[in-house]
Amino acid sequence: MLIKYFRTNPYPIVALYFFLIGCEESDHEGKRALTIYQESQASWVRNFNPLTPAGSARWPTSSGIYEPLFIYNSVKAEYVPWLGLDYNWNSENTVLYLTTRSGVKWSDGKLFTAEDVAFTFNLKKIHAGLDTRDSWSYLKEVKALNDSTVKFEFKRVYVPGFDDVAGQPIVAKHIWKYVEDPIKFTNPDPVGTGPFTEVSRFESQIWELNKNLNYWQKGKPEIDKLKFPTFPGNEQVTLALISGKLDWAGAFIPAIDRVFVEKDPENHRYWFPQTGHTTFFYLNTKKSIFTDKTVRKAISYAIDRDLVVKVGMYDYTVPAHLTGVSGQMSKWHPPDIEKKENWVKYSPKKANEILDSLGYSKNSSGTRETQNGEVLSFDIIIVTGWSDWIRSAQIISKNLEGIGINARVKTYDFGAWISRMQKGEFDMAIGWAEKGTTPFPLYKGMMASEYIKPVGTVADGNWHRFNHPLADSLFREFEKTSDRNEIREILFGLQYLFIDQAPAIPLFAEASWAECNTKYFTNFPSEKNPYATLSPNYPPENLFVLVNLKNK
Amino acid sequence: MMNYNNDSILYRWIRGILANKKAVLGTSLVGFFIFISIFGQLFTKDPTAFLSTPLSPPSADYWFGTNGQGQDVFAQTIAGSRQTLLVGFTTGFLVVIIGSLIGGVSGYYGGRTDDILSLLINVFLVMPGLPLMVILASWLPPGPLTLIGVLSLTGWAWNARVIRSQMMAFKNRDFVSAAIISGERNIRIIVVEIMPRMLSLIASSFIGATIYSIGAQVALEFLGLGDVSTITWGNNLYWASNDLALLTGSWWTFVPTGLSVAIISFSLTLINFGIDEVTNPRLISERIWKEKISNSDTINGITPVRKINE
Amino acid sequence: MNQSLIYLIRRLGFYLVAGWAAITLNFFIPRLMPGDPASIIFARFRGKLKPEAMNALRETFGLTDEPLIGQYWTYLKSIVQGDFGISIAYFPEPVTSVIASGLSWTIFLAGTSLIISFAIGTFLGTLIAWNRGGKLDSILPPSLAFIGAFPYFWLAMVFLYLFGFKLGWFPLGHSYSDSVTPGANIQFVLSAIYHAILPALTMILVSIGGWMLSMRNTMISTLGADYITFARAKGLRSRLIMLRYAARNAILPNFTGFGMALGFVLSGALLTEIIFSYPGQGYLLLQAVTSQDFPLMQGVFMTITFTVLAANWLVDIAILFLDPRTRS
Repeated sequence: MLIKYFRTNPYPIVALYFFLIGCEESDHEGKRALTIYQESQASWVRNFNPLTPAGSARWPTSSGIYEPLFIYNSVKAEYVPWLGLDYNWNSENTVLYLTTRSGVKWSDGKLFTAEDVAFTFNLKKIHAGLDTRDSWSYLKEVKALNDSTVKFEFKRVYVPGFDDVAGQPIVAKHIWKYVEDPIKFTNPDPVGTGPFTEVSRFESQIWELNKNLNYWQKGKPEIDKLKFPTFPGNEQVTLALISGKLDWAGAFIPAIDRVFVEKDPENHRYWFPQTGHTTFFYLNTKKSIFTDKTVRKAISYAIDRDLVVKVGMYDYTVPAHLTGVSGQMSKWHPPDIEKKENWVKYSPKKANEILDSLGYSKNSSGTRETQNGEVLSFDIIIVTGWSDWIRSAQIISKNLEGIGINARVKTYDFGAWISRMQKGEFDMAIGWAEKGTTPFPLYKGMMASEYIKPVGTVADGNWHRFNHPLADSLFREFEKTSDRNEIREILFGLQYLFIDQAPAIPLFAEASWAECNTKYFTNFPSEKNPYATLSPNYPPENLFVLVNLKNK
Repeated sequence: MMNYNNDSILYRWIRGILANKKAVLGTSLVGFFIFISIFGQLFTKDPTAFLSTPLSPPSADYWFGTNGQGQDVFAQTIAGSRQTLLVGFTTGFLVVIIGSLIGGVSGYYGGRTDDILSLLINVFLVMPGLPLMVILASWLPPGPLTLIGVLSLTGWAWNARVIRSQMMAFKNRDFVSAAIISGERNIRIIVVEIMPRMLSLIASSFIGATIYSIGAQVALEFLGLGDVSTITWGNNLYWASNDLALLTGSWWTFVPTGLSVAIISFSLTLINFGIDEVTNPRLISERIWKEKISNSDTINGITPVRKINE
Repeated sequence: MNQSLIYLIRRLGFYLVAGWAAITLNFFIPRLMPGDPASIIFARFRGKLKPEAMNALRETFGLTDEPLIGQYWTYLKSIVQGDFGISIAYFPEPVTSVIASGLSWTIFLAGTSLIISFAIGTFLGTLIAWNRGGKLDSILPPSLAFIGAFPYFWLAMVFLYLFGFKLGWFPLGHSYSDSVTPGANIQFVLSAIYHAILPALTMILVSIGGWMLSMRNTMISTLGADYITFARAKGLRSRLIMLRYAARNAILPNFTGFGMALGFVLSGALLTEIIFSYPGQGYLLLQAVTSQDFPLMQGVFMTITFTVLAANWLVDIAILFLDPRTRS
């Protein structure tokens, strides 16, 4: 009946359709908001607490609403003073004096002082759950000497502690001293020093952040508003990017030239600069044949990094450097590094030679065995859904097949994967490594005894369980000195040790993912204009971009 | 004209199925896929080799083109059928076995046994299937055994319930009462008297369970919860999606697998249609009428009144 | 009527027991999974957090070392009080508000799709059964079965790509337009409907075949009943017989199926929500799983279980009213 009616009289339905579309079109009232993708969420939860564990608060809480003292610019490889102006150590490197910037206001108009800095650190002392950087393991006391000087007294000499202190987002004493439980506090209406602080709209599928009218950098930011729609996954992000609905994103997009750039070559841009760090292929050094560093190097020789980069990473990056640091971090290389044995160069011949000479002969099906007849068969474990790493692992698996080692790729969900890694219950895996402003955190995470726990017990770091007495003594020395030359010498020593021992196998340089649309906004960082990294995935560096973007 | 007197139930049933067009079509298609899954790989290139430019359209060399890693999609589609069908049929089989066992015992014996088993069945029915599957699949080591286990665990209850109701309906029928009175043992009654009559139900349950298992398997693998380094239809779709198949316009990485899943599920459904037409009593008598009428004359579109047995 | 009351109470009793069993299972399963939430959050940052942060994380989430039995009692107590704890993935939002944010959209999308699918499916099933051997009968079942045979997400993605992206007829995702504010205004309602059309269409298309077929089957059995023949012999109008007598009886068994499906509305839309970026329950659950968020997982499971049981019970009551035979 109804059907018959509409068949002869379709106009009401057609009219309804156009009416529906019409309601959609009112998109641009005034200036367009900068639409950003950084977090994968299906539905927003209102939390702007910069101190709780990462992932709970909405981006850019800790680097957009709130700000740190100094920001390390990984592209220029230098520290940029932000809320902090200057710093210096006493002669024994036990006390750090920090000068804060004056003339900075909170978004509610009150003045920012050194008191806020001291308060923030002391808050972390009282509520240990906030201390995600573990600052109080090396700090003894933090005090504001006057309105613009903060004194950090250290428990032990730990010069790299400055990196932690510098990156701490600072909260307002006059607000937070009244908060009963800062761990559970969601901070729904934040008061910060950052360029964008006013939450103008918050719904489950979209929220908006307006600029801070009291921002300390005059005339900035130029952009009025940031907009965050929800995107549960990569495909949705890509769809939005292609349709021109996203202005700034940090997503991994396969075949990006064809998929994204071709749709609007004028405005669709991307830039994947290397971060200087490396993705590694880890071998459990406490297991089976991997205890032998020669075997580890042999496996490294077998890997065709060019193919991994080409097929696994769509040619977005380059094979890793022998030392595990590259790009901007290359300045830390010892001058004679090129003369050392380069075991990251593809040479299956060399790999086979080494394994043959060690007595691992091939059995009838072509797989090698140990002297006791144990077949060399292992699992490579990867997190479900990290398809770039899964693809890379599949290529490595084929490479290893070529030298007589049977390696099966197995994917596990996050929880299961991390549990196996931390407990050391794995053979091989692809993983990230610690990062920092120098290669120090990398090598410490790679070789320090203090992180090692027995197999079966959860360890916080150094999951592949490698250690060396020389490494530990070098770490101690590094933490005590602030002399530039000494620092360089120690880092050289660490690199020599690393390439001698091969605790883990460098795979490819880590690239940062970033796309932008210059149709409505300009002055995004790019290869031609590398004032900072383009990717929003590296707080607090995204502050550089937020502050410097311009309307077209 | 079908003679319902001397042939055994099983024999009649099979003959009926073979005469039904839908069932025959369905069975042939399914048979075709099974054949391909076993022997197909002998005729194709190596599906794991990185052969050519990624994402190139179908051509003479690569009938279905290449996927995002430069692998031959045609070879991948054929290779993928093996594990997918294997897991599908095994799960279907397991589900029917478990379901019939629990549902049958529950429906036949009634009383306390029924109360307890019914509770078990209903608890499992109430479990939200897909979420539970996702959780279990992500926790257990990836692979076909996990899939079979997870799918059977979440799927048997529906089957059990159906079998149970049918068993209860049969239990009240005369032939069962007669058997009980004449002293036949329960086991014998179930196996010899009741089961053959439930054949169509069990067959269509098996097919239904297989369809469900193929679909759920493909869905789980699409989410990345299968063993990603094996070649299965679900994994093919997972990789296609990761390589942004649609957005790059590379429909050939996506369509063949989707179509394959659709065709085989549809063929299985056809078989079910066929079984239904053969065994549903109302449909049987209708068919007899239809046959009779199509063989006779009608006068002005009206069938004259006739005797059935002529 | 006394008998019916007893029957209903018996059913309720059963649901309570089933519910308890489900709750207990829901408690144990997340805890049997490896890994703990703090490690997972830590791992998500691929090296940007210091290893020392682990302890801070663990303390924050209040991961206790209480024995399992102790935790179970605490869990049961809090369920009864309606306190599902604090989510880990969305820390420090309480689980109830996280669930609430997605609940309404899932119910709207999945619920409406189910109702439309059931309504149209059953109606078509009735028509087909009535006009046996007609044109519709030979075309509809096979074609709808074929469409339903495609993997759901496959169809959804193809539709999104064709109608949303290529042709631009429908939005690419989300439940309402960004330029509209949610609330009791007509623009919001229309926008919500517009955004729901494509996802609902895919869900309806895939499921309609099933409803149609089962209705058709029950109709066929019903049509064989004596009273139908009698009605026809009496000369009652075709349409009247079809709807008032045959369909009304044939729909009853399908109602049970509908009730169950209604209960599963909350869990079924997972793939739809992911593909269409629809802010609902399904994706929430997936996130809870990947973040090992025990409280949220349990909360979502509870909601689904409760809805399924409630829906079943409501259907039992409804059938009691609709089918006089059960009252005897």
